[in-house]
Amino acid sequence: MPLDTSTYSLAHLRLDGRRWNELRRLSASISTSGSADGSSYLEQGNTKILCTITGPQEQKQGGARRESNEAKVEVEINVAAFSGVDRKRRARGDRRSVEMQHTIATAFQGVLFTHLYPHSTVVITLHVLSQDGSLLACCLNAATLALIDAGIPMSDYVSACTVASSPTSSEGDGVDATDPLLDLNGVEEQELAFLTIGTSGEEGKVLVLVMETRCRVERLEGMMAVGLEGCGRIRGMLDGVVREHGGKVLEARVG
Amino acid sequence: MANGTAKPTGLAFSRETFAKLTPGPFLQAHLQQAEPVRANGRSLDAFRTPTINTGSLSHSNGSAVVRIGDTAIVCGVRAEILLASDIPNPPSDDLSKDEIVEQMGLLVPNVELSTGCSPNHLPGNPPSTLAQALSYRILSLLHTANLIGLQDLRIQYAEPPTDDDLPDEGPKVVTKAYWTLYLDVLCIALDGNPFDALWAGVLSALQNTLLPKAWWDPDREMIVCSPLASEATRLQLRHLPVASTFAVFSTASLLKARSEAKSWVLADPDDFEEAVCVETVSVVVTSEDDGRESVLKLEKCGGGHVGKIEMGQCVRLAHQRWRDWQVVMSGG
Repeated sequence: MPLDTSTYSLAHLRLDGRRWNELRRLSASISTSGSADGSSYLEQGNTKILCTITGPQEQKQGGARRESNEAKVEVEINVAAFSGVDRKRRARGDRRSVEMQHTIATAFQGVLFTHLYPHSTVVITLHVLSQDGSLLACCLNAATLALIDAGIPMSDYVSACTVASSPTSSEGDGVDATDPLLDLNGVEEQELAFLTIGTSGEEGKVLVLVMETRCRVERLEGMMAVGLEGCGRIRGMLDGVVREHGGKVLEARVG
Repeated sequence: MANGTAKPTGLAFSRETFAKLTPGPFLQAHLQQAEPVRANGRSLDAFRTPTINTGSLSHSNGSAVVRIGDTAIVCGVRAEILLASDIPNPPSDDLSKDEIVEQMGLLVPNVELSTGCSPNHLPGNPPSTLAQALSYRILSLLHTANLIGLQDLRIQYAEPPTDDDLPDEGPKVVTKAYWTLYLDVLCIALDGNPFDALWAGVLSALQNTLLPKAWWDPDREMIVCSPLASEATRLQLRHLPVASTFAVFSTASLLKARSEAKSWVLADPDDFEEAVCVETVSVVVTSEDDGRESVLKLEKCGGGHVGKIEMGQCVRLAHQRWRDWQVVMSGG
């Protein structure tokens, strides 16, 4: 168990010293790669993701030519062999990667103004350099920043985070602390039941909600409330990064 | 237009259009000036300045991020234990220590180019010929350079004396396991000359690698590692070879006499120049223990312009590049 019951109820501090509603250190920068249309690098704690965007570009030849009036969003996730605790060469097209790719693609299909680019494709490539929990959430955040750098119009930021249902993996047992935990790291993700929530817009429209572990139904509402609040805070941080970069670009042009 | 009073527009292209339509003559126009300069503004023998960041990845034993111009690569080193009992054919005793490293494959580089780093390397494809060739070149250079001694990669155990042993024999030292270093290199952005950047990344990551203290536990019959960072040892590299690549742009063609062809040697080519140059020269330079610089590897392929004189110039420039890199690698 990552969180010893007795010590948590004493000080209410997690293993890395955070309280239940504290996010990990988030640092991001955009326009990191000169050769891609849009790029970003995001670190949330020890999870480090690099994202590059190619597009909108012509539909690839081959296969049935897709007749549509909208751009298609394609996602590719490259997990580096040195990213996890054990060295593992991820086979391409393994089901977990495919599912994550599909989730991210459908999330952005709904947010980007795809009707402006008919018959074209936007390719989002995510490189995972280091994994320490909240992988899907960090991928969504990194992709948002890179799409903004690429200049593809979208309705609002997509910000995502993870929430766990309770500090211990055993339910009940007289543990009073039933606060959901925000922004999990790798150790906590393996032990606790958690969900990933991704929202868009100031009012918190939910775009992505993925939960692969069991938890009690009455906890769900609390988890979602904490998740929405966390996503709002992350949205503010992403906005700050974009505005700072914009300020620098403006200074370079004008000054 | 029916009435031809409108002045016809001249065929003046913008610079970018000229470069896209006819890249060869575009580059040639730059090089033919009195002061030859390349399309990216560099002089003929100017290399791009590298920046190296090491130790940024938390899960790896060693890591490095190298940027040379717009080419960026990330290298991570993971060390895994290979038990001597798992080796089907143990190395014979007459092999020298350095040959054992090569024969047992204790260094495993892998270059990943299909990451979307450039339009020519789209993600989702199996490794292209270029990626496989680069992986092999790095592997053969690692073995030729003999960077790491076997003693850093061995986990040995001194067996306690038994009754059968002669009293004046020392303790028998047996190798129980080896460290295998997996060097995974990811290319994030490619703007020409991948080999120099990949080699620099591999070298910096190896320099940065920390191997935990490991020993054979005879009671549990397994290798045990210490989790304390203070007991970890940094990998010692015997020397620091540096690679320099050159491309040759030539106006030679089958339609012209050979003596009419003009050629220029360009140091550290970027993507645009690599597309129009056929001939490349790669020089790897290192320094011996007594401080003399020596050439470790020479590779040349493509056309027929580079002869003795030009090769000598390339090697001289490579020596200069080695001196510049020592400053970067010791400071970074």
